[in-house]
Amino acid sequence: MTEAPAPEFVIREYLREHLMPHFLCPGCGHGIALRALLWAVHELGITKDRLAIVSGIGCSGRIGAYVDANTFHVTHGRPLAFATGLKLARPDLEVVVITGDGDCLAIGGNHLIHACRRNLNITCMMLNNEVYGMTGGQVSPTTSNSRYTTTTPLGNFEPTFDACALAEGAGAGFVGREITLQTPALKNLLREGLAYPGFAFIEVISDCTEIYGRKNDLGNSAEMVLSQKAAARPDVYTNSVDRPFRPNQLRTGVLARKDRPEYAAARQRHLQSLGNVE
Amino acid sequence: MTTGTPKEVITAAALTAPSARAQERPTNVLIVGVGGQGVIMISKVIALLCERQDLDVKQSEVHGMSKRGGSVFSHLRFGQRVYSPTIPIGEADVLVALEWAEGLRWLPFLNPETGTFLADTQQLIPPFSCRSRKPGAVTNYARHTVAEVAGKVPNCFATDASRMAAELGNARAANTILLGMLSTALDFPEQEWLTVIEQLVPKKTIGANLRAFAAGRTWVEQHDPAAMHAEAPAVFPAAADLGDYVARSAPEINAAWCKGCEICVKFCPERCLFMNDRQVAELKDPDLCTRCRVCERLCPDFAITLHRLDA
Ligand code: SF4
Ligand code: SF4
Repeated sequence: MTEAPAPEFVIREYLREHLMPHFLCPGCGHGIALRALLWAVHELGITKDRLAIVSGIGCSGRIGAYVDANTFHVTHGRPLAFATGLKLARPDLEVVVITGDGDCLAIGGNHLIHACRRNLNITCMMLNNEVYGMTGGQVSPTTSNSRYTTTTPLGNFEPTFDACALAEGAGAGFVGREITLQTPALKNLLREGLAYPGFAFIEVISDCTEIYGRKNDLGNSAEMVLSQKAAARPDVYTNSVDRPFRPNQLRTGVLARKDRPEYAAARQRHLQSLGNVE
Repeated sequence: MTTGTPKEVITAAALTAPSARAQERPTNVLIVGVGGQGVIMISKVIALLCERQDLDVKQSEVHGMSKRGGSVFSHLRFGQRVYSPTIPIGEADVLVALEWAEGLRWLPFLNPETGTFLADTQQLIPPFSCRSRKPGAVTNYARHTVAEVAGKVPNCFATDASRMAAELGNARAANTILLGMLSTALDFPEQEWLTVIEQLVPKKTIGANLRAFAAGRTWVEQHDPAAMHAEAPAVFPAAADLGDYVARSAPEINAAWCKGCEICVKFCPERCLFMNDRQVAELKDPDLCTRCRVCERLCPDFAITLHRLDA
């Protein structure tokens, strides 16, 4: 309270304003997630020159381009691979990967598990809207049971991936999940992830109003955002709520935090032990 | 908490001998505050002290609504014989208040001739005293300053114990500072207080609590109740200070970026936004806006801005 307050977060200072308004559909949760990310960046005092955003293909991949920082829009599913190279070459950069459920879990699934395994100091924000929105609404690895998409006209029957459990199992040092409706909580989670010295995987529950929502009759944007709240089960709710009435509830908050050797440091140590110092 | 004294039959003679009974009159300590401040802890300390001195002690507390900052109080009576656990109005020898307004609420219980009022001037403003949700708006919180109260009670010692505790490194030890202050008003040896505190507080916090106790004790020793008049009064924002507040605060909506998703309209808690006939969000009533920023944070198109107030 006594220290001078940091300048307030004004998102325009972080946007390429000439590209705005952005291309996302009305009510798309990705915009809210981007705000939370930039807000966290602002609070950590990361300058735009030090921020590098790497994104893949899809609606999620496009949002990186609106950030007035170093941005790379790379091939489908490969942002984590590009980011790994970037972080190793330029350790001074704060590397953030923005990816989607299809980009990260299907096409880039292999890159995800190996990024988790290596535990390089990058932050991966995966926007989960349960569908391939940009390419016309195909089923994705996180599409809920019995939902309609263009490729599941009779309803989806495939089991879904729990992305956080996957990342944790593959060894990610920091794993968290949050909904876009709780923007300040999402900001705090992203801030924690950015500050974590290792691979931070953060799943953001987003909403695709126009394609997924429309096809499945999930209501307007406000209703879709609100429904996230009904599904979420924040990690602060322990004890009584730990035995939920609805077993499918999504756990949110920090789901895992481990103390594992960071990849770049481990690599450096290994080279040193060989007398081959860079 | 009651120590075992067998129930005695009170004879009519005993009731009509006021002078003899007055000597036996128990000491009354009333401790008040809000949930989570440690009211009960203070009364436990005194009760244990009394037990160690072989005094009869009775305690009665209400803490039902305490979980969310609701009122908590504890009546504590000790002496050779204590019959009733509650303190009658006007008979508390010491009133210990862990929160300023709670202290004021219980002042009628203080003995008007000899009572001692020990208070933390910390203000915990309850939500229902905020009619307007605008930041910095006038609240209905008690407006009495320390100087005003000091002029009306026999002995008044009021200080910002919470800040003192925070400066000592543990803001939660404010109640122990009050205990230190209280130790000067009750007739128990200092060492007894320290022993009981050590026994009652969690092991890790013994050091912090003993430091807080000493700070409270020294503070009273160094202060003359008469000087309390000079103590800085609590500061309240005057209605006039809010002047042009609304004009500067209303959110700006960038119509060119708005895609008409209606999220802001549906989520604004004050209902001050609406969709105009071009399906663009518009501000209906800037006076209603409390700058809660829900609309700004949820607009997926960054179309809403609440400008910095300091500009
Ligand atoms: S800041 Fe936005 S949501 Fe909050 S009261 Fe004002 S218009 Fe409504
Ligand atoms: S939330 Fe933003 S885009 Fe949606 S209606 Fe409001 S101002 Fe327009």
